[in-house]
Amino acid sequence: MSTQGSVTINKLPTGVPGLDEIVGGGLPEYSFNIVAGAPGSGKTTLAHQFVFANATPERPALYFTVLGESAIKMLRYQQQYTFFDPSRLPDTIRFINLSQIVLEKDLGAVLEEITREVEKANPAVVVVDSFRTMVRKPQSDMDLQSFIQRLALFLASWQATTFLIGEYAEDELRDNPIFTVADGLFWLHQIAERNSIVRKLQIIKLRGQESVPGLHTFRITNAGVQAFSRTFGLTARKRNPPGKRRLSFGIPELDKMLDGGVREGDSVLIAGSSGTGKSVLATQFIAEGVQQGEPGIVAVFEERPEAYAERANSLGLDLETPQKDGKLSILYLRPLDLSVDETMQSILDAVQKIGAKRLVIDSLAGFEMALSPGFRADFRESLYRMIFALTGIGVTILSTVEVDESFTEFPFSTYSISFLCDDILRLRYVSIDGQLRKIMVVIKMRGGNHAKDIREYEITSKGVVILGKRLTEYQGLISGIPVHSDRPGPEESSPETGIEHRT
Amino acid sequence: MTIRLETREQARRLLIYESEAGNSSEPGASPTLRVYEKLRRNLAAFAGVAGFYSLASRALAQARSDVPGFSEARVTEDGTLQGLGEIEHQIDFDKGAGGKPPSEAGIILIARLLGLVHIFLGEALTANLLRGTWPGSALDDCKSEKGRNA
Repeated sequence: MSTQGSVTINKLPTGVPGLDEIVGGGLPEYSFNIVAGAPGSGKTTLAHQFVFANATPERPALYFTVLGESAIKMLRYQQQYTFFDPSRLPDTIRFINLSQIVLEKDLGAVLEEITREVEKANPAVVVVDSFRTMVRKPQSDMDLQSFIQRLALFLASWQATTFLIGEYAEDELRDNPIFTVADGLFWLHQIAERNSIVRKLQIIKLRGQESVPGLHTFRITNAGVQAFSRTFGLTARKRNPPGKRRLSFGIPELDKMLDGGVREGDSVLIAGSSGTGKSVLATQFIAEGVQQGEPGIVAVFEERPEAYAERANSLGLDLETPQKDGKLSILYLRPLDLSVDETMQSILDAVQKIGAKRLVIDSLAGFEMALSPGFRADFRESLYRMIFALTGIGVTILSTVEVDESFTEFPFSTYSISFLCDDILRLRYVSIDGQLRKIMVVIKMRGGNHAKDIREYEITSKGVVILGKRLTEYQGLISGIPVHSDRPGPEESSPETGIEHRT
Repeated sequence: MTIRLETREQARRLLIYESEAGNSSEPGASPTLRVYEKLRRNLAAFAGVAGFYSLASRALAQARSDVPGFSEARVTEDGTLQGLGEIEHQIDFDKGAGGKPPSEAGIILIARLLGLVHIFLGEALTANLLRGTWPGSALDDCKSEKGRNA
């Protein structure tokens, strides 16, 4: 399709962090939009953010309030948001109340008043809040449709970008003539999930540009509405080709088992039961990265960053200095009603801020518990999106996951997420000679040769130390209860002695 | 609830301004009623008539406890002030009297109204709204020494 000579539609900033990406770069100029949702879903706040982002003294914003929330109370509360700048009222942003006209007259008079004010002010932005209260008065559908069409036509001709705000239930979406007139239809959902509230935003339609489909999480904080795109804002970015570099754990024997280290841009899973040293390995991985000049992020869910750094210190790993130098960031993602998208945004912000190359998520179980119950059901799908997005920009992710120790099977993860991981390292306890010892094995390594050796290791004051012997005199090690074989004693371990294979 | 000094000063300055302006523009109206009417138009434009009515009714009720002479006064549905009765004479005392101090009753009524607007909208937004109606000279910083002594 030729675009030569086609009209250019300017995109206006929404003023809502994350929403520009969702709507395809910004809101089409002169579009006629409806923001719908239940009371308390954030409609007014979203409209205010758009108004404050776009109104100028030359092209102000007109904010018509109708029945419903008192304008004075609305302004009282809206002032609490950081984006609200009172100095811009009333010259740049003007609030006009239409209640009396709505109560005493008909829709024609309302249109007449809006027309009069628009012609007087030449606004860039017009908001009618709440538009729904205006149309609840008894009148024919034809009156209403005619009113909407005339209003849309008039405001577009006057080059105003418009928001009509209305309280609508989802079942009102079908066959509603109002929605057919709109260029953009934004639906804000507020869903109760057990004891948590989950807010979701959907762009049901947006003429003229490609928005990101689906339900996007949003949150309302003292900064107003913040939206989190399902694609984490990474759709426009080119995926990096798989890296060729190998990233070291700082544990030479383990690097050998991994054919030289973890491939850059891989997703690595360390699975093991409690106390097997998953976090220790993760800490060594991130510390080695910092040592090699690769900034890192650690996302922790089960302990505070100070405690995490202190524990690393006891292993001789200094995480304090790189934090001060801006080479390392330990994120404590508060365990309350998180969405994966919010977590991702925090991680992405940190990745961009310090140019992180390595990311540790410690642990997936903690991550899941920090999520709102509604998001836990989609945890796997969310993980997939998150890992795909982050590895796509060249970040190497190491996640830890706790698995129940079983003596009948050898699970890699309780989440069935192994397909999301390029590399899997399994740690487990084994009972040998009256001792509970630890073994590790590389289960999978996509695109690389890895050793098949089952290696014993210990956690010392220097972290994970792989012992120099391959356990050849035992059979059934991965069952956790091996039996001594009649084979000769332990051999010296090396990658050559292990049978290597490509997966 | 007492009236904040700054709010009282703001009311006083608006009354002085209207007192002086009234000599030429609307000599028939009391400065208090002129300030009140401008506030009514200004606030009703964005808060609605009903919104202004609510604020004005509350302000009048508060003013009655300070000035019993307001007992007969009432705010009508469209927000205008009626039934001032005897107090109207007191308010009229400063009618067109440029240079004379505004009446205490007038200051209290306007200050009560401004006080409520402050509570709901905050000082910055209230000041901006007032600037849309009165020139800056009528709204000089009331906290300044100059403002207090004016």
